[in-house]
Amino acid sequence: MRELVSIGRRRGTLVWIVVLALVGVSLSGFVNKGTVSSTLRLSVPIAFAALGGIFAEKSGVINIGLEGHLIISAFVGIYATDLTGNVWIGFVSGVLASTLLAAVFAVVCLEFRADQIIAGLAVWFVALGLAPFLSTVIYGSVNADSASFAPITIPGLSKLPGVGALFDAAPPVYLMFLAVGGSWYVLNRTAFGRWVHASGENPQALDTAGVSVRRVRYVSVLLSGVLAGIGGASLSLSLGEFSGNGQTMVDGRGFIAIVVYLLGNYNPIGAFLSTTLFAGLQTVQIQLQSGYLPSSLVQTIPYLTVIVVLAVVGRTRTPDAAGDHYESGEE
Amino acid sequence: MSDVLSRAKERLRAVLERSARLSAVERILISTAALVLAVLVGAVLILVSGRMTTCTTAAATYFGVGFCYDPVTVFDRLFFGALGDPMNPLFRPFQGEFAPPFRKGWSPFNAAMAVTLRETTVLVLTGLSVALAFRSGVFNIGTQGQLVAGALASALGLLVLAPLVPGGVMGTVLLVPTGLGIGAVAGGLYGAIPGVLKAYADANEVITTIMLNFVAAQFALYLVSNHFQRPDSQVVETVPLPDGATIPSVVFDPRMKFSLFALAIAIGFGGVIYYLLRYTTLGYDLRTSGLQPTGAEYGGVKTKRTIVASLTLSGALGGLGGAMYVMMILGNFQTGVPSYGFDGITVAILAGNNPLGVLFAAPLFGIIKSGAIVIDTSTSMPPQLVDVLRGLIVLFVAMPEFFRMIGRRTIAEKPNPDGGEEDA
Repeated sequence: MRELVSIGRRRGTLVWIVVLALVGVSLSGFVNKGTVSSTLRLSVPIAFAALGGIFAEKSGVINIGLEGHLIISAFVGIYATDLTGNVWIGFVSGVLASTLLAAVFAVVCLEFRADQIIAGLAVWFVALGLAPFLSTVIYGSVNADSASFAPITIPGLSKLPGVGALFDAAPPVYLMFLAVGGSWYVLNRTAFGRWVHASGENPQALDTAGVSVRRVRYVSVLLSGVLAGIGGASLSLSLGEFSGNGQTMVDGRGFIAIVVYLLGNYNPIGAFLSTTLFAGLQTVQIQLQSGYLPSSLVQTIPYLTVIVVLAVVGRTRTPDAAGDHYESGEE
Repeated sequence: MSDVLSRAKERLRAVLERSARLSAVERILISTAALVLAVLVGAVLILVSGRMTTCTTAAATYFGVGFCYDPVTVFDRLFFGALGDPMNPLFRPFQGEFAPPFRKGWSPFNAAMAVTLRETTVLVLTGLSVALAFRSGVFNIGTQGQLVAGALASALGLLVLAPLVPGGVMGTVLLVPTGLGIGAVAGGLYGAIPGVLKAYADANEVITTIMLNFVAAQFALYLVSNHFQRPDSQVVETVPLPDGATIPSVVFDPRMKFSLFALAIAIGFGGVIYYLLRYTTLGYDLRTSGLQPTGAEYGGVKTKRTIVASLTLSGALGGLGGAMYVMMILGNFQTGVPSYGFDGITVAILAGNNPLGVLFAAPLFGIIKSGAIVIDTSTSMPPQLVDVLRGLIVLFVAMPEFFRMIGRRTIAEKPNPDGGEEDA
């Protein structure tokens, strides 16, 4: 067992060197205040969804519906902002909508023992239909707009070359750093974090220790809804618009989030670093579009990277009990 | 050693037979219940959204409250509109009036019916594609991308080949099977990519297939807009296929873009896949890998090769669906392919991943897709309602335990020797 862990760690380190090298190569020559701030902005929805995915999957529930959470909170955030005129009320409403969806998912998986992958797909499908549907009902079009977040500029620090972008950003960017650190702390330094870990690795042991596996999983899935909801609401409210054409403006970010936390080996900080890889790629891609390569081809880069990365990394070790139902012996 | 192997095989066969027997009736009940529940939740959604929008006159009044949309009208348009309004308004058996049930002048070969059946044709193929993969334990979410790959390849292939082939019936006899074949091969190859990645690099197929959907759409956009764009067109599309390269229609008016040949081919594939799964060695390998991957390996199944075979076959069916879409419905390739692949997931899940079940679930979705067009033209209801229904159906089918619990509460509790555990 100990050997397995150390192999996992070594492999993780190796992956990290590769990833950081890739980030370095892809960003060198592009680093300026504009690219850093764009990378951070593009990171927000992916990072939050990934943090949510970590909590759910570490507790033993694979939440493949993250994309759906992003879509629903992106729309509700815009709608509530438009209705109340207050971006923060819109933001909180978006998060609540996503949490509600997570609650439905949790009940379906934990009470009715649904297959998690199929239930997660259902969450995606429902959101993919519901957001453009509601937008059309309310606005007569699949697209809607509202006010957006104003950036918070920290005087002085924001003038620094390169990293200045870190101090001149919309509130969700700052929230992201807080959430990454906070998630790491909760998972690694608190009792709840140990319960989440045990719930995914060895639910029997947790049960024997007198902690309800069901309750830990409920809280974790709800947390995944809250975090992904913050990501979705941030995505739409940074722009002040929701667009519901095709795959909607979320456009696969929820699925990239899953890859990101697999790549980060369920570690919030690792997940955040790989998020910046994808966001960096997207930034570079947007810059390339104005240049030599056809834009449609350039847009495949993030998706192809996901595939290559998955093929190279292979399956990171998922928690032992992920995807399984657990019935307490006491019931 | 061989004794252990044969015992493992025996056990697997028993598991297979038991799960097949258990599921049939129960699946039909659960699927029906899921449909009814999705319609009910849909009705609530229609009422609620009818309060969120504004209208001058209420479409319906329930409990003294006016609503902008009436669920009864919406579902009537959805289901009967898709069949060309067959019901005679004077046929009211509950009121004791027994006029002929079908409306005078109604013909089953009407335009709405043609839309329903042509959607059904593609959905049978995408449904089979997803069902085959799910059955072998592989979550192929990539039928959409495989369909796009097949559609694009068959359109481009036919545009190249058509000038080399004589016109008339002879040309059609040569071109139609060729086009379908190109679509199947392209879809199969595109499906093989995640298959190989899963089998030999352990890459999660759920993620790779979803990513490949995005890649296929973007790549098709690139190829058509940069190399095969129809010069005088505002949308991204190729020039039309020559007449001989489209599937000839029978009975239905050719302008309705539906061919009974195509539907017959799709249904034929339903039979072929059923036979393949049930009576062939490959089918046995696929099913056992799906039920008990470790047991299957122990029983002598080459798991890696089975995974690749499963995704390749699944992709080929998706590609065939794409070829049908191009050769029957569109007559060329256009970007922005409808979500047949995702609807295929719903069809397969509703059918309990049974190829024969797909033949029943696909027409239902054909009706819903075609009814969405009727809703769009004849009511103020946004047609995206149909996408919500799709999600709700998947959600309800995903929770068989919910229906079992209701069943157990209403019917006297019966001991279940198999424990009720099942693949979904």
